Amino acid sequence: MIDTLDALLLAPLTDYGFMRRALIAGLALSLAVPSLGVFLMLRGMSLMGDAMAHAILPGVALGFLLGGFSLPVMSLGGVLSGLIVAGLAGGVSQMTGHREDSAMASFYLISLAAGVLLVSMGGSSVDLTHVLFGSILAVDSSALLLIAAVCSATVLLLALMFRALVVECLDPLFLRGQGARNGLIHGLFLGLVVLNLTAGFQTLGTLMAVGLMMLPATAARFWSKRLEGLMGLAIVIAMLASTGGLLLSYHLGLPSGPCIILLAGIVYLFSALCGRHHSVLARLRRSKAAPGTEKPSSAHPHHRTT
Amino acid sequence: MSRLHLQDVRLAQGDRPVLEGLTGSFPDGAITALIGANGAGKSTLIQAIMGLLPPVAGRIECSVPRERRAWLPQQLVLDLSFPMSVEELVMTGTWPSHGAMKGYCAAHYRKAREIMARLGISQLAHRPLGELSGGQRQRVLLGRTLMQEAELLLLDEPFANVDSETVEVITQVLRDMAAQGVTLIIVLHDLEQLARLADCVLLLADATGQWFDPQTLLERHGRTPLGTAALSPLDLGGVSL
Repeated sequence: MIDTLDALLLAPLTDYGFMRRALIAGLALSLAVPSLGVFLMLRGMSLMGDAMAHAILPGVALGFLLGGFSLPVMSLGGVLSGLIVAGLAGGVSQMTGHREDSAMASFYLISLAAGVLLVSMGGSSVDLTHVLFGSILAVDSSALLLIAAVCSATVLLLALMFRALVVECLDPLFLRGQGARNGLIHGLFLGLVVLNLTAGFQTLGTLMAVGLMMLPATAARFWSKRLEGLMGLAIVIAMLASTGGLLLSYHLGLPSGPCIILLAGIVYLFSALCGRHHSVLARLRRSKAAPGTEKPSSAHPHHRTT
Repeated sequence: MSRLHLQDVRLAQGDRPVLEGLTGSFPDGAITALIGANGAGKSTLIQAIMGLLPPVAGRIECSVPRERRAWLPQQLVLDLSFPMSVEELVMTGTWPSHGAMKGYCAAHYRKAREIMARLGISQLAHRPLGELSGGQRQRVLLGRTLMQEAELLLLDEPFANVDSETVEVITQVLRDMAAQGVTLIIVLHDLEQLARLADCVLLLADATGQWFDPQTLLERHGRTPLGTAALSPLDLGGVSL
């Protein structure tokens, strides 16, 4: 029994250095990334992370073409292209008056196409899979250092910006009235998102990195009504998913990114069904407890369409 | 000289002119009701006074520093599903003095507790915003402006969607603030509130504004006795300038 557990859970880590490095990278990301996801979710920008994840791809690809599979070059490219796309989308929406999300959607589709094209120009389909979906084998010590540095800086900056982010999220007009520079706060925050997505693509892949940001946050929403609770829980979920997903991918020979994200996805689905607040089960229980209260939409006859 | 003076102010939203030739002073330590039909420019004027919209021409002379100008928006503007407690929201009123970084000390929490007691929301201190009624939320938002120690307070329809107890509490707090010398500007739609609260009225109509003594306005508007007029929202089409 103990031998089986050891073979399943510990042996991969004690036997292989790349597994240890991947685990540490995953845990470091899990400490920083979910808090960003919580704020993205609360700002109603849950899909923004997705768009940014696509936006970093052409830069990563360009870095790959120029410097080969080197994390610092690819990361630099990713951060730059992410920031450029975010800036372009903001600029276009400001100049044309269209909503920012439509500009963002257009730019991220362009980025995705350009990124895939760039990778396939210079490399094989294996390289493309690595860039898109991550490869744990590729996390070397320098990559680990980079990830750890980004995550530490993120946690530190988030702590410093915390009050500003909360107030800006709740009531942007209040801050503007006080002469605070909302644009600066918003820009710094988006910068952090881009930076962390870039740090995450090594283990998770550019397309999957955003999953570790959003899924733990959206799952935590079903369990806590407090910001601290949301963040703490999201971090725990992310850590469990990272560890479990990594072991799964090792034993079953599957790519690590999708394994980690799918585990987080399972937690989300479970929370949506059985969570404490607003889940399917909680709603059923409440409607059973108070059978007299109907849904307002069905209570008013004038809402009916004929 | 009052704290807030308008000198021949002209305001526009983009290319669309909204108000022009607006001149006059908002009296200190008094409540000025800002009234006008929808689209008459009430929100535009509030934005301009808060310094969010520079006037196209003329001057807005305001001697109140930015951090002492408070603004109570309509509740709907805020995202009240945000996971934050009543006490935390009241404490955000310390932003002007504390900014993003400075720590709170015990005196600030004590002050927040006093404010919540004054507004009758002490028992809600740790409740999330999403669980409050409209009236309770309005009191919490007013609590934030008290925390801010505002000298100039602008309120956008503070009595919309609130219960009668909240109306009482808010009215009393606003009266107290005026007595302490705060300049208050309140967007109102209801004649009864205007009769009860306002010391002065600024009516926006036909792209400009005119100052009234509330009694004069009520007499001019209500050829019917006040009691019946009070029940209907103010019909500003009937007021001739």
